[in-house]
Amino acid sequence: MISDRTQIARLFHRFGFGPRPGEFARAIKQGLQATRTELLSVPLHDAGLDAIVAPTLTDLGPFPAVNSPGRKAFDDEMHRERRNLTLWWLDRMALANHGLTERMTWFWHGHWATSIGKVEYALPMYMQNQTLRKSAVGNFSDQARNMITDGALQYWLDNGNNSISAPNENLAREFMELFTLGVDQYSEQDVKQVARALTGYAVTRSTGAVSLNLKKHDSSPITILGKTGSFTAEDVSNHLVNQAQTARFIAERVWFRFVSDSSPLTANDSLIESFASRNILSLISTVGNSAAMADPQNSLVRSPVEWFVSVCRALKVTPSKVSKPDQVLNFLDKLGQIPFSPPNVGGWPTGESWLTAAAAQYRLQIAQYLLTQGDISPLTNISSGSRYFAIGDLLGVPTWSTRTARALRNVQGDPTRMFLLAVSSPEYIVSI
Amino acid sequence: MDTLSRRRFLQLSGAAIVGATAPVLSISQIVQAAQTRPLPAGTPILVLVTLYGGNDGLNTVIPYQDANYFQSRPDISYSPSDLLPLDKELALNGSMTGMKNLWDQKKLAIIRGVGYPQSDRSHFTSMAIWQSASPEAQSNSGWIGRWIDSQPRDPMLAISLGSVLPPLMAGVNRSGSALPLGGIFVPTGALAMDCMRLSAPSASDSKLLATAATSLRDLFDLSSTVTPILKLPAPPASDLPTSNGGSAGGGSDLQQQLDVVAKLIAAGAPTRVWSVSLGGFDTHANEKGAQAVLLGNVSDAISRFLSQMRSVSRGQDVTVMTYSEFGRRVRGNASQGTDHGTSGPVFLAGDKIKGGFYGDQPSLTSLKDGDLAVTTDFRDIYATVLENILMAPSEQILGNWKGRMKFLGNN
Repeated sequence: MISDRTQIARLFHRFGFGPRPGEFARAIKQGLQATRTELLSVPLHDAGLDAIVAPTLTDLGPFPAVNSPGRKAFDDEMHRERRNLTLWWLDRMALANHGLTERMTWFWHGHWATSIGKVEYALPMYMQNQTLRKSAVGNFSDQARNMITDGALQYWLDNGNNSISAPNENLAREFMELFTLGVDQYSEQDVKQVARALTGYAVTRSTGAVSLNLKKHDSSPITILGKTGSFTAEDVSNHLVNQAQTARFIAERVWFRFVSDSSPLTANDSLIESFASRNILSLISTVGNSAAMADPQNSLVRSPVEWFVSVCRALKVTPSKVSKPDQVLNFLDKLGQIPFSPPNVGGWPTGESWLTAAAAQYRLQIAQYLLTQGDISPLTNISSGSRYFAIGDLLGVPTWSTRTARALRNVQGDPTRMFLLAVSSPEYIVSI
Repeated sequence: MDTLSRRRFLQLSGAAIVGATAPVLSISQIVQAAQTRPLPAGTPILVLVTLYGGNDGLNTVIPYQDANYFQSRPDISYSPSDLLPLDKELALNGSMTGMKNLWDQKKLAIIRGVGYPQSDRSHFTSMAIWQSASPEAQSNSGWIGRWIDSQPRDPMLAISLGSVLPPLMAGVNRSGSALPLGGIFVPTGALAMDCMRLSAPSASDSKLLATAATSLRDLFDLSSTVTPILKLPAPPASDLPTSNGGSAGGGSDLQQQLDVVAKLIAAGAPTRVWSVSLGGFDTHANEKGAQAVLLGNVSDAISRFLSQMRSVSRGQDVTVMTYSEFGRRVRGNASQGTDHGTSGPVFLAGDKIKGGFYGDQPSLTSLKDGDLAVTTDFRDIYATVLENILMAPSEQILGNWKGRMKFLGNN
C-alpha cells in the first residue's frame, strides 16, 4: 500500500496531465478521497478552455497535380492546418482546469490510433478528435458506432473504396482485433464476413465525409460470431460492442494504460462488471477507486506527450504561444510521440520503450527550451532552503530518492537548474 | 505465447533490468574501450532490416510464368517485361536493381515461403512472434535480446537506429541500445555533472526508476563514443554500378539509417548486431506503385551499404537480413491492394552468403483458405545466423530447434 501522497500523485498524472502550481499542495490538504472525487468527475463547463479558439480548417479539396500552379499554396495551407491542429490539442491538454476529458480523449486517440501521416488532411482528423472528445467519458457503443463510419478511420484503414467485388479486410480485422474484441477472439471467417458488411462505403478525403453506395455494398445475409443477417457498418459495431468479450477487452486496455502494463487484469475483475452498460465514466471511476491504484507494483512510465504537457502545466506555458512552436513539435517528433501521428494502428508503446538514452537527451533539450518560455516564480519567490520541498509539490512528485535529493539540493541556489533536473529525474519520468 | 503476454511483450520493448544490477561504468572507461578495443577485423556483423506492415512477397519475388499469378490479382500483377528475371520461374520486382546485382554476384540468398506454424494475420501478434522467435511458448524477450544476455555487458554490443527500441532487442536481463538518427546532444560542464548525479543508482529504485536512471547514464556512455564518429562523412560506395532504379525521390530513411551504421562500422564500433527498419508495407489499397517505391528503397539502400562495407574492408564481415511479419493474400482486393496473408521471402545478402534460392516456392494452386503455404520455418534461418554469424549456441536462444540452412559459404 502506497501513501496517500503517492496515490494523489498517481491521480494527477494518470487521470489528467499533471498539476499546475498550487494544485498538488491543495489536494494534499483536502485529502485523498476528496481529490479522487474531484479528479474523476467531469464539470459541465471548463473555464480553462474558454480562451482556446478552434483551428480554422477548410475543405482543401483534392491535391492539385504535382508542379501545377496551385500546388505550393495548397501544400503550405495543408502544413499550416496540420500544425495548428496539433498545437490546438496540446493547448487544450495544457490549459484545461479539469484534466479527465482531455486525458480520456488522448486515451481513445491511442486506442483508435489513426495517423495524419496517411490521412494527410487536418479536417477529418479534427472531426474524429471531436467525435472522440464527445464520447470520451460517455458511452462506448455510441463511440464505436460513430467511429466505424468516421472518415479519417475509414481512409486510414483503406475502407474508402471498399467494394463487394473483392472486399478489403483491413478495417474489418482491426475493428475486431484492436478496437472491440481483442486478438484471437474471432475466426478468419468472421474477418471475411465483417469485410463484406463494410463494403460500399466511400470517403471524401478532404472532408472525411462518408457515404454508402448500396450498389457496392454486400447486403446479403452473413454470419458474424454466430449471428446471421444483413449488416451495415453500424450493425456490425453494435453487434461487436455488445459481446461480453468487448467489456473485458476495453477494461484490459484501460488497465494497461492507467494502472499497469506489466501485471494483467484479473479474470473476474470489478472493472469488467463496471463496463456492463458500456459507460466509460463508470469504468474509469472504478479504476480510479480500485485497490490497484494503491499497489506499489503499479508504476507506469509517462509517455512523451504526457511528460511534455505536465512540464508546460507546471511552467504555465501555452504550447502554441511559445517563441518557436515548430521546435516543440520537432522535439516531440524525435521523442517518438506527436498527437495525431501514432506509429501504427496499434497505438503508441508503453513502459521501458520510452526510457532510452535518446529520449533522455531530448527531454533535457525540451525542458531547457520550455524554461526559457515559462514561469518558475513558485521557486524563485521562496528561499533557496525551501525549494527542495517546494519542487515536489510543484510537480506532483510524491518522494525523491536519495540520489535525486542529492542532485536537487546541490543546485538549490539556482531554481532554473533545479527545475531542469527535477523534470529530467527518474521520479518525474515514471509515475511511481 | 498467450494474448496478453504477447501484447505486453510488444508494448514493452526494452524489458530490461539493466540499471538495478549492472556495474556502473565511467565515461572515460567507455571512451577508452571504444578507442582501444575496436571490433577485430573478421568479426561477423549482422544487420537486421525489419519491413513493417507485411510485405507482399508475391510482388517482390514474382512467379512471372505462372498463369495463376495473373488470374489471382489482375489489377496489381506485373507483366514479365517489367521484371528482373532470376530464373525461368521467378523474377524480382523491377525496382530492385540493386538486389538483382547482388544476385548476379551470388551474394544474395532468397529464402522462399518463410513463416511459422499456424500463421497469425495480426500485424502485432505476428511481428511479436518473429521478434521473440517463439511461436508456441510464452516469451517476453526478443531473440537478439536473449543473445545479448549471453554476452558480456557492453552498451555498444547491439544497437537499433531510432529512438524507440524494437522488442527483438529486449533480453531477459539486458537489452540493446537505441541510437537516434538526429544529432546527439551531450550535456557538458556543470549540467553534465548534474546529470551524472541524477543518473546514479539509488538503493530505493524500483525496476522502472532504475531503468530511467540508466537511460540518462547511457546517454553519456553512448554519446561520448559515437558523436565524433557521426560527424564523419559516410564511407564511399565506390564499386556500385552507376545508376540505381527505384528510389527516384532521393535518399530514403532506410538509407539514412544504414549510412549511420556504415560510419560506425567503419570507425570500428564494437557492435555485432544492428537493427534498422522501414514501414509502409501494409498495402491494402493502391499497392503497386507504393510497394515498388519501398522495395526500390530497400534494394538501393542495402546494395549501397554493402558496397560501403567493401570500401572499408568489412565486406567479408557483414551480413544483411531482411524480413517482414507476413506476406499477403494471393488474391487482390477491389481497392487494388492485398490483405494480410502468411508466408513471404527472407533475403540474406553479403560476401559471406552463398547466393541462390533456398526453401520451396509456395504453390499457387494448393492454397489454404486463399493463402500461401509456409515452406520454411524462420527459426531455421535464425539458428543458422546465431551459430555462424553471432557465434553463439542456438539452444540457449531458440531452445531445441533442429532446422539449419546452407546459405552461408562456410557451412
